[in-house]
Amino acid sequence: MSASEPRVRLEGITHRFGSETVLEDVSLDIAPEELLTLLGPSGCGKTTLLRIVAGFERPSEGRVLIDGEDVTGLPPNRRPTNLVFQRPTLFPHLDVFSNVAFGLQVAGVSRAQQRERVAEALTLVRLEGYEKRRSHELSGGQMQRIALARALVNRPAVLLLDEPLSALDLKIRLEMEVELRRVHRETGATFVYVTHDQREAMALSDRLVVIDQGRVEQVGAPTEVYSRPASVFTAQFVGNANVLPVEVLEAGDGDALLRLGTQTRRIEYSDPAPGPAWLVLRPEAVRVSGAAANNGTGESLRGVVRDAAYRGTGFSYRIELSEFDAYVKAETRGAAGHEVDQPVSVDWDADACWLLPRDERETVPPAPTAAEDLDDQPNRREEETNA
Amino acid sequence: MSGTRRSPATGAFTVAGLVFLWAPLLLVALFSFHSTGSLTFPFEGFSTRWYDEVFSNEVIRTAAQNSLVVATSTALITVLLGTLAAYGLTRSSSRLRGPLALLFFLPITLPGLFIGIALLVAFSRVEWTLSLATVTIAHLVYVFPFFFLVARAALERLDPALEETAADLGAGRWTVFRRVTLPQVWPVLVGAACLAFALSFDEFVITFFVIGPDSTLPLYIWSGLRRTIDPSINAISTLLLAFTILLFVVTFALTTWSERRRRGRGLAEDPLVLTGPAEGAA
Repeated sequence: MSASEPRVRLEGITHRFGSETVLEDVSLDIAPEELLTLLGPSGCGKTTLLRIVAGFERPSEGRVLIDGEDVTGLPPNRRPTNLVFQRPTLFPHLDVFSNVAFGLQVAGVSRAQQRERVAEALTLVRLEGYEKRRSHELSGGQMQRIALARALVNRPAVLLLDEPLSALDLKIRLEMEVELRRVHRETGATFVYVTHDQREAMALSDRLVVIDQGRVEQVGAPTEVYSRPASVFTAQFVGNANVLPVEVLEAGDGDALLRLGTQTRRIEYSDPAPGPAWLVLRPEAVRVSGAAANNGTGESLRGVVRDAAYRGTGFSYRIELSEFDAYVKAETRGAAGHEVDQPVSVDWDADACWLLPRDERETVPPAPTAAEDLDDQPNRREEETNA
Repeated sequence: MSGTRRSPATGAFTVAGLVFLWAPLLLVALFSFHSTGSLTFPFEGFSTRWYDEVFSNEVIRTAAQNSLVVATSTALITVLLGTLAAYGLTRSSSRLRGPLALLFFLPITLPGLFIGIALLVAFSRVEWTLSLATVTIAHLVYVFPFFFLVARAALERLDPALEETAADLGAGRWTVFRRVTLPQVWPVLVGAACLAFALSFDEFVITFFVIGPDSTLPLYIWSGLRRTIDPSINAISTLLLAFTILLFVVTFALTTWSERRRRGRGLAEDPLVLTGPAEGAA
């Protein structure tokens, strides 16, 4: 296998449950030693895509290749993949050793080897010496680490993780993220991670795949997806960005003139297409100052604070713009805050803008999809019945 | 308790109900130990002579043996077929899942009389000689829905993700069933098998229609009662009762134990158990 050959290749994957299309023409290459995240809101199809790679679903169309071999028709037990489920699915009738050794036993690995590799795997997840415990003696975080060890002990070509941290408390979740990054570094295995949590996705991944309504919206490194979102959806879902309708009046080399409502404003930007556009503005690039500060200069927008929350490092605001029928989210630093219902002026860093093409008729961005803590697979039995 | 004022009539009613339920049973048991052949008071002293008589009676021994053979075969065949049916139907994605399950357990509503007559007609149509084999087949028809219902409930409660996990770890279908499904449900299946055994062992109405020349214990008791009434009948009935109660206790114990073991997972939510030593190590 050459170094450039992908570990996993998805070719034109389309999947339907009954008449509903949950994945549409998804193609993707996943490199060895990569930690790739499938990120999207609940119900976007990311879990289905993972289950297709694992072999639990057979795509309606398209192919799955692992190390160049077509595995589309193979059942899960004949694929070099292992899946860590959303809930820790430890076998309740077996102790930790037998849980972790399950795959090795099924594969006929010798007893001595089993002991060695289970101990190794438990050390990897920092639960050495837990062999004799039973699942009900473990905490949620420990159970999920055992599940991770149980998958990794088989040395899968691809480790699939289906929101493995979503059932855990925030504090344990943050610890587990550190653990996962370490385990990924130490094993050098290919990880495909599914989550609806953009913070988690950015913290973990080498590359992000943003999925919405069964379609890949963008693929790229977290920094790239965050700073140069390819669509309004990605801007809102990944960056929690403000999206305002603007008009590009003049496009120059390195700067451009925008019209926002009744105002015009010069930004640093290279060759945007003239005409209607969306201005993407991340909350931390928005500056909020007292109403008097910039009044009359025509360079900043006026607004009224509608909500203010203290974050520790600064404030999060929701500001209703006066010239616009729109709200702006702002995240400021420092202890000085603005009161709710107080008029303020809103400004932003001139180099923090990002423009996306806009249809002339669209003036209000689509409502951002809330990244809620929902189960991505509401009723699989029902889906199967439909299929 | 202090808030509710109970009328003495409620208590009396409860006692009367319990007496009505249990007194006949206790009387049968009591007179099985009677030292004389009388089945009426006054009670003249204890003896185990009727039990000795039962155990030494060749006809009773044969009838008991027949009952055991029929009940054992019925239970074993039911476990096999019932488990297959329940497993197949809970794991299938077919549209016919619901209707098929209904067909499997609906015979539970059929009166024994109806099953008996229907099978008798069927057996004579295909010209099968009535024997213990036809009794066993009849008992299968009768017992299957009970077993199926219990087995299906147990299999349906299992987390399908556990079987998926096993498949993901490389186990084929049979291995998944043997190493993951069965270890979780066997106590319930064994319990339901005991229930099937007990139902078959006690069965009278259907057996009466399809038995032919042989006899089972319930049939012997019935025919014995027609000839003479002596306390040996009481002794058999008491033995039968004790045996049945034992089976139900075993069934109940296994089901409860399995349920508690299944719930073991829930213990992790207990804050005392949660404080595992290594959690902080991360």
